[in-house]
Amino acid sequence: MYARYVSGRVLQAVLVLWAAYTVTFIVLYLLPSDPVQLLLAAGNVDVTQVSPDQLASLKHQYGLDQPVYVQYFTQLFNFVTGNFGESISKNVPVTQLLGQRLPSTLALGASAVALAIVLGVGTASLAVFARVKWLKVALSRLPSIGVSLPPFFVGLLLIQVFAFQLRWFPATGDKGPQSLVLPSIMMAIPTAALLAQVLTRSLEDALDEPYVVTARAKGLSRSVIQWKHAFRNAALPALTLLGLLLGATLTEAVVAETVFTRNGIGELAQESVLAQDIPVVQAIVVMAAALFVVVNLVIDLIYPLLDPRIVHGQRVT
Amino acid sequence: MSFTPLRLKRRWALAASVVTIAALTVLTGCSGSSSDASSTGDTATPVAGGTLKLAFWDDQQGCIDPNQVYWIESRSIDRQIADSLTDQDPDTGKIVPWLATSWTTNDNATQFTFTLRDGVTFSDGEKFDATAVKTALDATYALGAKSLLGVSYLAGYDSTTVIDPTHVQVNFKTPNAAFLQATSTTTLAILAPKTYQETPEARCAGAIIGSGAFTLDNYTAATSAHLTKRADYAWPSSLVKNQGAAYLDAIDVTYIKEDSVRNGELSSGQIDIAWPRLPISDADQQVLKAAGDTIETRALPGISYVLTSNITGNKPLSDPLVRQALQKAIDRPTYASTVFWADYPVVKSPVESTTPFATDESSLLAFDLDGAKALLDQAGWAVGPDGYRYKNGQKLTLDEPLTTSGAGDQLLQDQLKQAGIDLTLDVVTTAQYTQKTAAGDYDLVGTYYTRADPSVLGSVFDQALTKAPTAVNSQDAATAQAISADFAKGLQTTDDTQRAAAYADLQKTLITAGVTFPLYERLQVSAISPKVHGFAFTSEAFLRANDIWLEQ
Repeated sequence: MYARYVSGRVLQAVLVLWAAYTVTFIVLYLLPSDPVQLLLAAGNVDVTQVSPDQLASLKHQYGLDQPVYVQYFTQLFNFVTGNFGESISKNVPVTQLLGQRLPSTLALGASAVALAIVLGVGTASLAVFARVKWLKVALSRLPSIGVSLPPFFVGLLLIQVFAFQLRWFPATGDKGPQSLVLPSIMMAIPTAALLAQVLTRSLEDALDEPYVVTARAKGLSRSVIQWKHAFRNAALPALTLLGLLLGATLTEAVVAETVFTRNGIGELAQESVLAQDIPVVQAIVVMAAALFVVVNLVIDLIYPLLDPRIVHGQRVT
Repeated sequence: MSFTPLRLKRRWALAASVVTIAALTVLTGCSGSSSDASSTGDTATPVAGGTLKLAFWDDQQGCIDPNQVYWIESRSIDRQIADSLTDQDPDTGKIVPWLATSWTTNDNATQFTFTLRDGVTFSDGEKFDATAVKTALDATYALGAKSLLGVSYLAGYDSTTVIDPTHVQVNFKTPNAAFLQATSTTTLAILAPKTYQETPEARCAGAIIGSGAFTLDNYTAATSAHLTKRADYAWPSSLVKNQGAAYLDAIDVTYIKEDSVRNGELSSGQIDIAWPRLPISDADQQVLKAAGDTIETRALPGISYVLTSNITGNKPLSDPLVRQALQKAIDRPTYASTVFWADYPVVKSPVESTTPFATDESSLLAFDLDGAKALLDQAGWAVGPDGYRYKNGQKLTLDEPLTTSGAGDQLLQDQLKQAGIDLTLDVVTTAQYTQKTAAGDYDLVGTYYTRADPSVLGSVFDQALTKAPTAVNSQDAATAQAISADFAKGLQTTDDTQRAAAYADLQKTLITAGVTFPLYERLQVSAISPKVHGFAFTSEAFLRANDIWLEQ
């Protein structure tokens, strides 16, 4: 039963990746620009000064003189075998670019997600656990505020206060763990807020369930009930959401890396989109899709551990 | 403690990076201008040591090779690494000796003979001599279109002849009177012969060896650069006070795109120099000054920020009357004082006032709204019910592609509206921008280009030299001929009176024929921490770090 569930999920993941690649290819192919012209412009060469022969040889070199479907399958094959091609605007292999930029974004993403989980779960648990009326209300309203704050504004505010005024953390760059603090907080706030919102609601629902009444009747303590009984059941919706939020880390990194001047994947994505650097954009899109797929696959695989009914219930299609 | 206003500013030169008419981007710079916190009055004794932390706004070209790069910030770094044959006095525009101790020029400006300084070495130990000069010039010329600036600096280049180790002769097929000034630029900096064995791409990425006061340890495009001093440096130009090794141990370069963040880093002491592209706003300057920082400014010579017309086909600007009306409808003094600050210089010509041979064409650029309206009436464009002008049911719309639009663009839009002209600010991505300008799909396009010689205009407007849209689309055959003739005249002689006459004529023609519409002068504004002493701009408005020392 579990094997069937897993293979279904994995197959789905592969399909999603393929679709992401194909859609990106089509969209980028439909853009009205001529890659060779962009290539020359990036090397600050005026296209009018290049002879038709040179143009033709450049097109040939990049395989742009072949029919679309040939280009598609050649590139797909290259992609699958790990060859992402060469950046048009930066003249270096895409893998090298990604290799340079990825560690910074991974560190940022990981710390932001960790912080978001701590903040989100913490707020939700406290909101539910709190007995003082006003505190309960305040804590349960907090997520709405967090969701409404524009991240770039929060980022600039953090810089003003903690970098320029108090001088506790650096405002820019990527030097050591202290430079992760401010951007992580900025990225964690909206994620934590959403997580807290969903978790608070499902925790409250769970605490109304008959099994909680039973547990209470057995004389279990409030914390045991909340953590052992209610939380496990309430965690499922939050886990689904967490999967989606994790997948969106790369998108959030675009803003965080711009505000905090970090040279990561998000910043690379922004630059490459503006410059229509097709190979780089394609690699990043597929990477983002892969992250999304992998995270959600992992979460799908965790579900049955939390709630065995998922596997034993209806079949996965 | 200072509190910098939170503000996201437009990033205007974004456009500049990828443009086919990349002429736009190129900020060279030079020649005399004001510096309101000049370090010349600095009497304290310099102390050696320390690392200067410098933050630029961006690095969109991502190239550090002085021979290839046009990106102004990279050239500021290059000035510390690579030396040139000559130097240019920022105050007078005069060319002075550097790696060449003297030179002679023939009358028709086709032959330049340089006597070279002895005892100069590159940082890899190679000796600087006539052969090194030949290798460098030949290789820069061979870059062709890859060196946007080199193409015009070496226009008509024929060969370089090594006479003996300290004498070298540069020959041109056609006159190039601007070449002497070109030898003072970073573009024609002489790198070690070994450098030229690398591919142009490798050189762009940092494989360069110069004879400068600093060496390049590493360069990561748009991220960082690290320079360390050469202890045995002893051959700066006479414009440098410190004739020995630099005081600074090292220079650390970063790129911070957000203005508020960059300024905040400066006022909180995390960087020493904030060097943006767009002038620091008046409000920000006040905040920085309050924190003890100083502001250094220098006008970038070369082409002012201008809009260039597209007169092809049936476009509205194909009618000379409409072009004249547009020229009159722009209120330049208001533009300068509104977009920048109260006493910001008003543009007077297609070239900046600090460029040698610049003339004052204020009378041709005067704001005359009634005159503009009369011309448009005469051209058959009648005012419609919405205030805009129409002819045969067609609205008088001018399309200006941009990658970002800011206060200045909107002010211009409003000014033109007064005359009934509908300026459409068409904000597109850099890639689309390249496409649109190359295809001639615009009415007006912004341009600027820095070099301390009026021949710089040729790179943008002379059809005999460039096929860029700014040249091809902006002039009819007769105008093109007149313009090319003026450029040729300006380059044929080293006689200043004759050059001045040719360039004066050229500046008038560019305005009256409606080839170009000057909008504003460009100032390099840099903010400096109080612990930095000996700050200096080169003639090109780049950094010169030889005299800089840090309070310890």
